[in-house]
Amino acid sequence: MEPVHERELVARCRREEPGAFEELVDHFKHLVFALIARTIADRSRAEDVAQEVFLRVHRGLPYFRGEARLSTWIYRIVVNVCSQERTVDHARGAATNVSLDDPDSRVRAPSTVDRRFTDLELRDRLEKAIQQLPSQYRILIAGHYLQGLQYEDLADAMNLPLGTVKTQLHRAKRRLRELLEGELR
Amino acid sequence: MTFEPTCAAVADLIEAIAAGELPPDAAITAHLSACAACRAALDRARRLDQLLRDRVAPAAPPQFTSRTMQRIRRARWRREQVIDWVFNTAMIAAALLVATGVWIALRNTGLSSIGRDVLEVFTSGMAATAQKVTPSLPLYAGATGLLAVALGLWWWASDAAL
Repeated sequence: MEPVHERELVARCRREEPGAFEELVDHFKHLVFALIARTIADRSRAEDVAQEVFLRVHRGLPYFRGEARLSTWIYRIVVNVCSQERTVDHARGAATNVSLDDPDSRVRAPSTVDRRFTDLELRDRLEKAIQQLPSQYRILIAGHYLQGLQYEDLADAMNLPLGTVKTQLHRAKRRLRELLEGELR
Repeated sequence: MTFEPTCAAVADLIEAIAAGELPPDAAITAHLSACAACRAALDRARRLDQLLRDRVAPAAPPQFTSRTMQRIRRARWRREQVIDWVFNTAMIAAALLVATGVWIALRNTGLSSIGRDVLEVFTSGMAATAQKVTPSLPLYAGATGLLAVALGLWWWASDAAL
């Protein structure tokens, strides 16, 4: 969305014009949901968290000064909500870490199985490996590979210098590579 | 003398090279062609990068917007309920405070006896007025009825003219 349209939409939402906030939700829902669903494996919880993001956007819109882009501000809320969600998980003692050594998910020899199946299995292993990363890394991985999100957006959203974002992203990928050692051929 | 990077130094750059953010210079290229382990690591990093790029972006469920709007309306309604409750409680507390203050002031200044006298005069005056007016009540009721009919006709006529 163009910055001009963003400002216009924010103004309409502030005036509480009918349908304005719905338009905002419609515009950002896929990006917000994709970002969250890539960070939180459980779909229904991901939807709940995505709704919470828009609830906070709605509550915070009157105080949004427009210094950052609307999209950046929304990503920042996503990052905060996801981090809090992670903290709640830890407090609940939920078993969010999935072991890559789970015998049911062990990869068989690629030469004996259909390649497509191997790809699917590898993707499943990748998802499990991502779940093992620290939440900051997971959000970075989720955000970086989503269309429309630049390094700058991530840096703004996470309140981190651009260089730090790049370094952390490389570390996250290196950790993933280590977790999937022997399976990436 | 040319700088020869170690495997550890190359390992730090593998992710950036795999993502295409860092074109390898001559020294790194030479190391990669000589070192099978680093070359394999770069291949794995490239494969991982591709897998991450191919990751499906889950779309929001079909009813997401309406469910979100419902949740926002519920939250807003709850917030308004709280504000209403706080406002009403504050108003009752303020009214009680004012009443107590007035009562204390009247008690301390002796004005309460004057208040009672005024109330007596007022109630006796009201009773006398009611006695006088009662016989003429049908007349007043008739006049009020006529006035209401006239106003109704006037409203109907002005409405029809539009």
